Amino acid sequence: MSEGDLSVPFRRRAGSAMKDAQLQEALTIATTKFIGLRREAFEEFPDGETLRDQAREIKEATLQSLDRYLEQLIDNIERRGGRVHYATTPEEARAVVLDIARRTGARMAVKSKSMASEEIHLNEALEAAGVTPVETDLGEYIIQLAHERPSHIIAPAIHKTKEQVADLFAKELKREVAADPEVLTRIARVELREKFLTADLGITGANFAVADTGTVVLVTNEGNGRMVTALPRVHVAVMGVEKIVPSMTDLMVFLAILAKSATGQKFSVYTTLVQGPRRAGELEGPEEFHLVLLDNGRIRQLAGPLRESLSCLRCGACLNVCPVYRQIGGHAYGYTYPGPIGILLTAMLNGPESVKDLAHASSLCGACVDACPVRIDIPRMLIELRREVDEKKIAPWTERVVFRALATLLLSRHLYRWSGPIARLLQRPFARAGVIRHLPFFFGDWTRTRDLPAVAPRTFRERWDGMERGS
Amino acid sequence: MTTREEFLSRIRAEMLKTGGLFPASPAPRPSDPRAVAETLRRQLAEHWPGALERFRREFERVGGVLYRAASLEDVPRVVAGIAREREARRLVAWHPSALGGDLGPALAARGLEPLAMPPGEVGDAHERGRLRQAIADAEIGLTGVDLAIAETGTLVLRSGPGRPRSTSLLPPYHVAVFDRTALIESLSQVGVLLELWHRDELETAAVISFITGPSRTADIELTLTRGVHGPKEVHAIFVEREIRG
Repeated sequence: MSEGDLSVPFRRRAGSAMKDAQLQEALTIATTKFIGLRREAFEEFPDGETLRDQAREIKEATLQSLDRYLEQLIDNIERRGGRVHYATTPEEARAVVLDIARRTGARMAVKSKSMASEEIHLNEALEAAGVTPVETDLGEYIIQLAHERPSHIIAPAIHKTKEQVADLFAKELKREVAADPEVLTRIARVELREKFLTADLGITGANFAVADTGTVVLVTNEGNGRMVTALPRVHVAVMGVEKIVPSMTDLMVFLAILAKSATGQKFSVYTTLVQGPRRAGELEGPEEFHLVLLDNGRIRQLAGPLRESLSCLRCGACLNVCPVYRQIGGHAYGYTYPGPIGILLTAMLNGPESVKDLAHASSLCGACVDACPVRIDIPRMLIELRREVDEKKIAPWTERVVFRALATLLLSRHLYRWSGPIARLLQRPFARAGVIRHLPFFFGDWTRTRDLPAVAPRTFRERWDGMERGS
Repeated sequence: MTTREEFLSRIRAEMLKTGGLFPASPAPRPSDPRAVAETLRRQLAEHWPGALERFRREFERVGGVLYRAASLEDVPRVVAGIAREREARRLVAWHPSALGGDLGPALAARGLEPLAMPPGEVGDAHERGRLRQAIADAEIGLTGVDLAIAETGTLVLRSGPGRPRSTSLLPPYHVAVFDRTALIESLSQVGVLLELWHRDELETAAVISFITGPSRTADIELTLTRGVHGPKEVHAIFVEREIRG
């Protein structure tokens, strides 16, 4: 789904996702499987809970001295001959990468999966500048061929069936193949192998960066992260400033829980520690190494209401357990980052205006907090966002008026006492068998997808008063 | 363009507005990683059979196959066995100085076509291209191992002279050779060694690769498929008698 679809309201986007039978099946299978794998991984890892607490603390400690750790990281990278760039906005980040591409005469860029590069819409910019971007994570490759966007942070093509992938390969690669994941994967291997060997530029994100050593860390299962950092002559890593950790000791805490949370693996297949460009005596490796430090709304949140979401590891665990994500999938959210954490990140990147509907796309059940490896309190921040959307008058006036009236009512004993009899009178035309199915005017928004229980013939309070008198 | 100073001063300005969410400190680091590493080595000198067994279990769980060889001289026999079953002949290997010995002649005698990597960088671009093609065309990549992590069945390989990164990446079969000095129990112990390597700038590398089994993906309908970009099989040969490189 392209950003253009944001012209369709969230309610309609969510509605059509729920009517898409194939998507519903894919979502149920995938999220249920991820939940089970994650649970098993932590069940046989007794240190897990302690390490999660520690990881949470390390993230907070890092933010408390972020300037110092960043300086350390920058100095260490430059000492080894790498270059560091600073991007406040997506435009700036794109300009930095394009400039490197131009200066080095790059014609093709191979990319390993990077949400940061999705976030800054790097591919479109590269294409416009005459550099062909090739996504090499299998899921990302599939959605690039389909001209779509990722629908899950770690499984971008989770919404596609194998038949759809086979049709896509037939159309885009002119290869008629069986709808068999094994066969399809082999085709992608051959197609992409040639790209790895000929590309000039390797573009990655970063799962972590270690300040003390100047190390950029990439975690993949497929090995594409290794390919793009070993073969092309230039490597550019794009990273949000919050991905930094102080030391190698801290890094190992995160590595111990990341894969378990994301895919239920004990450890991902490839963890690649990149420490600058090729060194003297090496046969291969990039001649140039660049790190682009990205702000894009993050720095503002150091003292903002969304600070805690700067601890996110992008593991996707909160998506799988979210009753809303499980129903509507990633595309309906409409932005780069879907799911519960995605709502917060969207607000961070695009401002509260962008989440006036999304802030309500949560039942606040708290399953995300339980699943989050660093226990980010997502519901707390969603409530804050709802408040902000209300206070800045971004929410529709009807919503604000109704909830304000409700607040007044609930805070006044006398008003509340009288609300029962009045509501019984007003609901008479709409209530059937104790349920209100349709409300008139703008109140209808409430009953569009849910029933409202009618006010009882006698409220609890009225009955209580009666009992008191009776005794 | 934003400069380093502008970027950092904006961060400092925001940091001044808040005391943070709760009191927090990073993980306690070993003050003397060398001493800790030394203790770990002494402990493992006794406990290595347990660590090796745990490594085997985890390595097999992720799809690896473990073999044992009496000495480095015995390794070509094991490699040839792996190659024969897969009808593989072309092999690229780390330079003998990085591998701990020259296995080329013995491998060739067993019908393989081994090619050792050069000990250092290659100035000539044409020759570099030829070597890359040779690695890409090879069926087996033979490498050493810096660490074998028992907790996760992970092999850790540092890049450097004579040990090109792609030898463990491009060929479909990766065969790695290690001895008990590479064995280590846990991820947290690896943290100590990484701290140590970085104090010794000489021991650190441009790239440190953690490899936990063969390349895999589950991006199509969450169906597990091996060998998507990297090797589809990973074999590890444990050498009983210490390799001296």
